[in-house]
Order: sequence, then C-alpha cells, then structure tokens
Amino acid sequence: MKIKNILWLNAVLVLIVMFAVTAPVNAGGKVYKLGLSLAITGPTSDAGNPYAKGVEDYFKFANETKILGEDTIDCTIRDDQYKTDITKRNFEEYLDEGIVMYLNYSTGSTLGLKRDFEEEKIAVLPASYHAGNIDNSNYIFLPVASYSEQLVALSEYVVKNHKGGKAKVAMFIHPSAFGRGPVDDAKKAVAAGLNMEIIEVVEHGKDLDNSAMLKRLMSKDVQYVLCHTVQSPVATMLKDSSRLGLTAETYGEKGKLTFLGVHYTGGNDLIALAPDACEGYFWTCSFNLTSEKGEGTTKQLALAKLYGRDDKAANSHNYAAGIMVAQVTTETIKRVKAKGKKVTKENCYNELNAMNGANAYHPYTTMGPVTYSKTDRAGVDMLQIYSVQGGVFKKIGTPIQSEYMKKIK
Amino acid sequence: MSANSWLATGNFHTTYQQEQKTFFTSLDRSVFSFFLLLLFVWPLLFPLSNKYMLVVDNILVAIVAVMGLNLVTGFAGLISIGHAAFVGIGAYTVASFCRTMGDSHIIVTHFWPVLIVISGLVGAGFGALVGLPALRLKHLYLAIATLSFQMIFQWVINFMSFFNQGQTIHVGRVFWLTGKVGRTDHYFFWYYIILVVVVLLGFGVRNLLKTRYGRCLVAVRDNDRAADAMGMNPGLTKVYAFALAGFFAGVAGALHAYLYRGVGFESFTLHESVSYLAMAIVGGLGTLNGSFWGPVAIKFLDLQVEHLAEIAGQYLPSSMNLATALKPFTFGLVIVLFLMFEPRGIANWWRIAKSYTKLWPFRY
Amino acid sequence: MSYFFQIVVSGIVVGSIYALAALGLVLVYKSSRVANFAHGQIIAAGAFITFFLTVNVGVPILFSFLASMIITFFLAMSVERIFLRRLIGEPIISVIMVTIGLASIIDGLIFITPFGTENFSFPHFLPQTPLSLGGVSISWTQLVGVIITFILIGAFSWFFKKSTIGISMRAVSDDQFGAMSVGISVPRVFGLAWATAGLSAAAAGCIIGNITGLNFETLQAFGIIVFPVVILGGLDSILGAVVAGIIMGLIQQFASGYLDGNFGLNGTGDVMPYIILLIILLFKPHGLFGVHEIERV
Repeated sequence: MKIKNILWLNAVLVLIVMFAVTAPVNAGGKVYKLGLSLAITGPTSDAGNPYAKGVEDYFKFANETKILGEDTIDCTIRDDQYKTDITKRNFEEYLDEGIVMYLNYSTGSTLGLKRDFEEEKIAVLPASYHAGNIDNSNYIFLPVASYSEQLVALSEYVVKNHKGGKAKVAMFIHPSAFGRGPVDDAKKAVAAGLNMEIIEVVEHGKDLDNSAMLKRLMSKDVQYVLCHTVQSPVATMLKDSSRLGLTAETYGEKGKLTFLGVHYTGGNDLIALAPDACEGYFWTCSFNLTSEKGEGTTKQLALAKLYGRDDKAANSHNYAAGIMVAQVTTETIKRVKAKGKKVTKENCYNELNAMNGANAYHPYTTMGPVTYSKTDRAGVDMLQIYSVQGGVFKKIGTPIQSEYMKKIK
Repeated sequence: MSANSWLATGNFHTTYQQEQKTFFTSLDRSVFSFFLLLLFVWPLLFPLSNKYMLVVDNILVAIVAVMGLNLVTGFAGLISIGHAAFVGIGAYTVASFCRTMGDSHIIVTHFWPVLIVISGLVGAGFGALVGLPALRLKHLYLAIATLSFQMIFQWVINFMSFFNQGQTIHVGRVFWLTGKVGRTDHYFFWYYIILVVVVLLGFGVRNLLKTRYGRCLVAVRDNDRAADAMGMNPGLTKVYAFALAGFFAGVAGALHAYLYRGVGFESFTLHESVSYLAMAIVGGLGTLNGSFWGPVAIKFLDLQVEHLAEIAGQYLPSSMNLATALKPFTFGLVIVLFLMFEPRGIANWWRIAKSYTKLWPFRY
Repeated sequence: MSYFFQIVVSGIVVGSIYALAALGLVLVYKSSRVANFAHGQIIAAGAFITFFLTVNVGVPILFSFLASMIITFFLAMSVERIFLRRLIGEPIISVIMVTIGLASIIDGLIFITPFGTENFSFPHFLPQTPLSLGGVSISWTQLVGVIITFILIGAFSWFFKKSTIGISMRAVSDDQFGAMSVGISVPRVFGLAWATAGLSAAAAGCIIGNITGLNFETLQAFGIIVFPVVILGGLDSILGAVVAGIIMGLIQQFASGYLDGNFGLNGTGDVMPYIILLIILLFKPHGLFGVHEIERV
C-alpha cells in the first residue's frame, strides 16, 4: 500500500470522526408530537418492523385525510435495538420535544422506564402486553389484554372444551421474565379452581430438536401444550411434534398433543416458519386477521396499499397492532380537541381514562372496543381464538373474555 | 530541566523524579487545568437538553468502563470479551442492595458513594476470579474463556428470581447535600459525579503506569518470559490486571445503575462487550487518552447515523430497512477501517497533532 | 428406554449439525490462526442465498444448495482478500475485532434485505413422514442433514490428507515459514481456508434453516454456540470438531431431557456448553484433540 493511499484513508477516517462529533441538528416541525421507540433491528425485529410500519402509515393517513382538521401529528420513530438504555435516550429526547403521549415497545424497557412515566405523568401505550407493566403504574395503558389474561383465557378454553376429567397441560415458555410472568397467573387461576393440572413448565433454549421434551410430556400424559414465547422456538417444536406424529388432528385428541399459544407465538410468522406443522395450532389474539375478511381488514389492506407496503407487512397482525395504537392516540387527541381543551400530556391522559362506556373507542383493527378507566388498564378485553386451518388462521367461535383473571386479581 | 518552564524544546531531565512528573511544562499544566475547568463549567453556561445530557453521561460511564478494558486489553494485552459482564456485576451489586433492602433505603440513597466503591470491589473480585484462567491461557483461548463468562453471567441473571430474571430492578433517587436529586437535575447532577470519578480514575491510571505495578503490565504484555526473568510474577500480574479492569467496570456499572435508575440485563449483553472493545480500539489500545476518544467517537457516531438514517428515510419511501441497516453497518465499518488503516486509533492522531505543535516555534 | 434412545439419537443429530457449523471455524483457525466471529452471519447468509435461489429465482433446491455453497465460497474468499490479508501478522486482538466488525457489516447488509426481519421457511423437498424404529424417530430433514454433514466432513478430511492443496494447507498450519520456504503461497492458503469455511457454513446454514425455519436471530446465534464445541474438540482439529460436536449435542439433549423440569432447573441446555467450556479451558485448554501449545506462566 502506498503511503499516499494510507494518508487519504486516514483523512476519510478523520472525516468520519469529525462527522460523528459535530452536534446533530434537530429537524423542526411542531404540531402534536408523539414518539415511538421500538426494535426495528435486533431481537424481536420481526415483530417490530411491521409494527413501526403500521404506526407510520396510520399517522400519515391521519394527516393526509385531515382527521384532526388542519392539525397534524408528528410521530418520531426510532430504533432502539431492544436495548433499554437506547429506549431511555429516545424517551428523553421525545420529552425534550414535548410529546403528549408516548408509544413504547419492549417489556424490558416498559418496566425499566415505568418510574419515569410516573414522574413525567405521561400516558404510554407499549407493544408489550406484560401484566407486570401495569403493577404500581398509573400511566401505562396496555392496548389489548395482557399476556397473563390471554394465557388464562386459553387455559379456560382448554378446560371448557376438554372431555373427561382434569385437563393435563404443559407450558412452553420463553426463558425470561416475559415468559415466566403469565405462568404464575395461570397457576393462580388453577389454585382458584380452574379444573386443570399444570404438569410441567418447560423453558426452551436454542434447541434444534425437541423430541426428548415432547416424549417426556407424552409419558406424563400431557394433552395440551400452552406456549408463551416467540414464533421461532414454537415452530421448531411443532415441526418435531408433527414429525413424531404427536400433534393432535382435532382439538384435544386423546394420546396426542394439542398446541395453543399466546399473542407473540402465532401469526403469519409462525406459518412462514412451519407451514405444515402448525396446522391445528390454536392462538389468541385481539386483532382482526386478514385471513378472515372483514371491514377492518379491508381498511388495513387499503392502508398498506396506499403506502406501498409489501404483502407480508400488510397481512401481519403486528402491522395491525401498530395501526391500532396509532388509531387510539389519534382518537384521544381528537377527543381532547373536540372538548376544546389544549392538547397536553395531562388532558390526553384524562381523555384515555375516560375512554369507556359510551365513550369506548372501536378501532377497525381489533376484536372489540378499547376501554380504559382508572381501574381498567387493558384496552381491548375481547380475545379471539384462532386456529390454523389450511395454512391460514381461522376464527374459532366468538370473542371470549377471561373469567378467572378477575377472580385472581 | 530546561530554563523555560513554559516551553520545553527537548528532554532535559536530570533525575528520575523529573521524569515521573505528570506535566512536563507549566504550559501543559495550565492547558490541562483550563480544559478541566471547562469540563466543569460548560454545562452551567450552555445547558443541554436532557437527551444530550444523558448521552454525555452515558459516554462518561463508558469512559470509566473502557479505561478498565484498556488496562487489561491494551496495557496487559489480555483480550476480554466479557467486559460488559463485569459492568453488569457492578450494576447488579447495587441492584442486590435494592432487592434486599428496598430501593429507597437510606444506604442506597444516601450512602451511594460507598455503594459505588463496593460495586467496584465486587467487580474486582469477580475480575480476579475470571482472570484465573489467564494463568494458563493465552490469546484466543483466553478470549473465549471471557466469552463464556459473559454467557454464564447472562444465564444466571436471567435465571435467578433474586435478580428479577433480568428485568429492571429499580434504584431509588439519591440525596445530595441539597436534598433529593429530582428529575430535572438528575442528569446534570450525575454529570458532575461521573466526571469526578473519571478524573480521579484517569489520574489513577496515569499514575499507575508510572509505578512498577503499571510497568509490570506492559512488560508482561510485551514478553512475559522476559518479565519473569526480570523478577516479575507474570501470573499474578495477569490476575491483578483482570481485577483492576473488574474494579473499573464495577464502578462503571454502579454509575450506570444510578444514572438509569434501574438495572436490566439488556445493558450488559455480549453486544455491549463488543461495543466496549470497539471503543477501546477506535480510541487506541494501550493509551490513556484513547479511553476518552473511543467512547466519544462511537457514541456520537451512533447518534449521527440515527439522524442520517432518519433523513434518508424521508427521501426513500417505505425503505425503513435501508435506514435501519445503516447502524450495524457503519459500526462494523468503522471498526474494520480503523483496524486496517489506523490500528493505533484516534489516540495516534492526537499524538501526531501534539508532536507537530510540541516544538513550536521550532519545527522539525 | 425409548426415551433414552430418542435423546441419544436427537443428540447425535443436533451434534452433527454443530460439528458442521464448527467445521468452518476450525478450518479457518487451523490454517490462519484466526477465530472468526462472523461465522454465524456467514451461516445465515448461506441459508438466505439458498432460499432466495430456490423460491425467488426458482432453481431446484439441490442446485441452489450447491450454488449457495459456491457463492459463499467466493464471498468468504473475497472477505479474506479484502479485510484479513492486510492484517496478517497483526496482534490477535485486531484480527478478532476485524471479524467482529465484519459480523456487524454483514448484519447491516442482511437488514437491508427482507431476511433481516422477516421469517421464511424452505419449501418441502423431502418426505414428511419420519423414519421410526422402535419408538425412536428421526425426520428426513435431520437424516439428510446428518448425511450431508458426514459427507462434507469426510470430503474435507480426505482433502487435507491426500490432495496437494490440502497438504499445503496443513503445512502452513504447521509452520508458516517452513511452508513459505518450500514455495507454498501462504496468503493463497489463507484465502482457500476461508473459502472452504464459507462453503461449509452455507451447508450448515441450509440444514439449520430447514430444521428451524429461516429466522436471522436464530441462525446467526450459531456462530457463538459453536465456540464451546471447537474448544472442546481443540481449535485446530477436524476430528475434534466432529467428536466434540456430537458430545455437545448429547450433553445438551441430556441436560434438557433429564435436568430441565427437575430440581427447579430450566434452560440448562443453553448454559451447559459454556460451563463445560470453562472447565475444559481450565483443565485441558487445548481440547480433546488440539495441538498442545499452552504454557504456564
């Protein structure tokens, strides 16, 4: 290498560093500021990416169709790579910019920043439906029923549709607090009289083969496996199960395993990972799926088309989840405005709290109305059970609500 | 000593004591004092927004950690891919106090300087423990031993309910002479605290390198058999290098816990370890001022890329992927470019810049 | 008893995949003394290239499998040429960090494509009914994976034992100066080592991708998971990688088969390799088959 070349490259490096050290300029633009910090890269980015697109598209749509009249919403979306410290940095920046509501993403950062939300008195809508988020917190609004509620509702579904004796279930969970939290609530529900027995709680690793685990469950007469984790491990397990011929053809088939799962275990991502093996998989979700045509899904697909999203994003329930939080925040601001109040953190918070009874809000993306009050911190309480049939998720019955969740509270 | 105490045109030392001095000329000393004063005064003159104050604080914490990493990897030549785990141990020491006594117990809120020191000592203990394999391992094998420590640390934190299974353990607000440090001056307050820590530890490192213990590290790095022959104990030196690094990391961890008012395992993953290494390398391994340059460069680069990605995102419709992909890409690119073209890091530019001005007005 | 044998079979299947994934690391280390931290990314890239060729271009999967091996062969070779060639002789920390930086760069490149964030799975090309024997079952995907693993490993062993290039690679790993003095081009050998490593990584990526589905996080994690394997086997031994891979697979399966759910433990399969790794490093740092070059200080 010639010396000249090295000098030149050094100059480039100097430039990079100079570029790095000069203070960044903030783009202007006021109006109603909102902020979203989420994982677009890094862990769980398969969910975060469509979620971000949903939020972005709906706010664009709201501004273009003048839902708020002449006013517009400016929502900054930042990637935090699922790291709490970056989330905190983003949150502080949004606060500096004067946001009126904050959209968060991960369980870790929601719990980590809980105290900041309290101190700042700002309403927060996270994408994590962890029940622990709302403990000791007044400002966190779960968009839909918590994971715990979903798991308990699934358990109730198991018990209700189980024939003969006690239902024996195993839990297949993520090795983290995200996975473990709801299991405790399920145990409480059992203690409160839910007629099922939790035989084993399995925390998965990065397994390439779950045969041993599945056989063990079989030898313990387990009939149902309730999953609360992310799609990839569930897909591996389902593949192993169908290979071993252990997957039940119909619900609750004797001597076979029926698999059921909570929010982040299902969706099109699961079908993409295990196209055949996931046949007959049961899943709870509070969102409308595009595989079940309806008014809401038509709007969702139209929105995706309007902003040139690909099919995968358009049909993702995470895209719907993104749209949903954007809808709720837009509606809140609209209501504050309609009352002739100033759009502030406080007014938005109060308006969210008043979103119940006749004031409940019906977004087109969800199974039921969004209701919040001082005591109700979960937006959509209705859960739809879906099941994979012919490679797509189909509705099973009508939306349900957990009964035992109220008992154990 | 040259006659002029302000400008030295050469090395005129006549005693070893003179060579041990921190500042060779009065000019050096005044420039340094002025710079230090500037560091303490600027936040009062140009108040930053909370975000940038947090960024600055975060950089200072990283500087503390990287100083430690530089001791073990730069000066002693022992590669550690588990530095974030040591930082984590410091943070979790504070967290353990919060778990056992409640997060607003008087020990946590009033005696926080003591806790920071304790965290450092716990970090040092673990450092020594993890350093034990260094007695038998070298180079790559040692790197992988520290990597496995990182993995075991993550598993333990995620597994034990005492550590809240990796989820945030809150740390209460601290008290200062003027009372509780509230939300508005939180970052401001910690800026000064961390700055003081950085200055103290920076002088610590500087002076350490003038003692036999510091020179020992360098000797063992360069040739441990020769060091052995000269009467040093290379094994002990390696373990103690790890312990020192652990101390710095522990202090950084405790500061991190207080700054973010919570401890969650996401801040201490393998990726963070790699970032610390990247900072040390971009700054310049085996130099003290490199420990300052590296974190500043990497953290600001991160911010700048974020802004750039946002601007790019506005012009490239629905291509969020391209915008977000920039972050890991530039991070990797900067590391690789530095290693390929300037392996001595930014510290080398500083050295070159200094040597140009050193003999002014008498140029080479 | 069939539980026990199922665990044994699963362990061997998983282990041989580990072995294949570890092979790439060993090949690079053996010749050039570089630990490649970007191996997981190359594994993922190999899987994605195969998927792209099969689904988006429409090449039959067998050919796209071969094609992706060839593509990663040249990709890895150019990586060596561009980034690592000029670092020959630099301290080990620089070399490690360059591969870490590379991993980050490849991350960035993959995030540009949909593969970074979306999930996919390979179309089926093997029978779906598993092979069963006395209550022990193994899927065709796994079986083919194991067969490919052993074919590749056999081919590499033969290549190193018999072929001229293989022998020159061994010569370089033995003594660089000696090799140079008999007219072997050391840089070329390094390039070749990287290229073969890339090839084996692509194969591993395809097999893992077939088993778990294509998820970037899952695939790239294998770059780190295989480190305990290579250390156990010895960083520079192909045989070691095979034996250690299978041992590690068995240990993991037995840990999750017998420890998990008992004694209040869970997820032991994930951490077990690292604990073994630490023990091995403390007591037998060169691994089971590695060359002794560890010294006491």
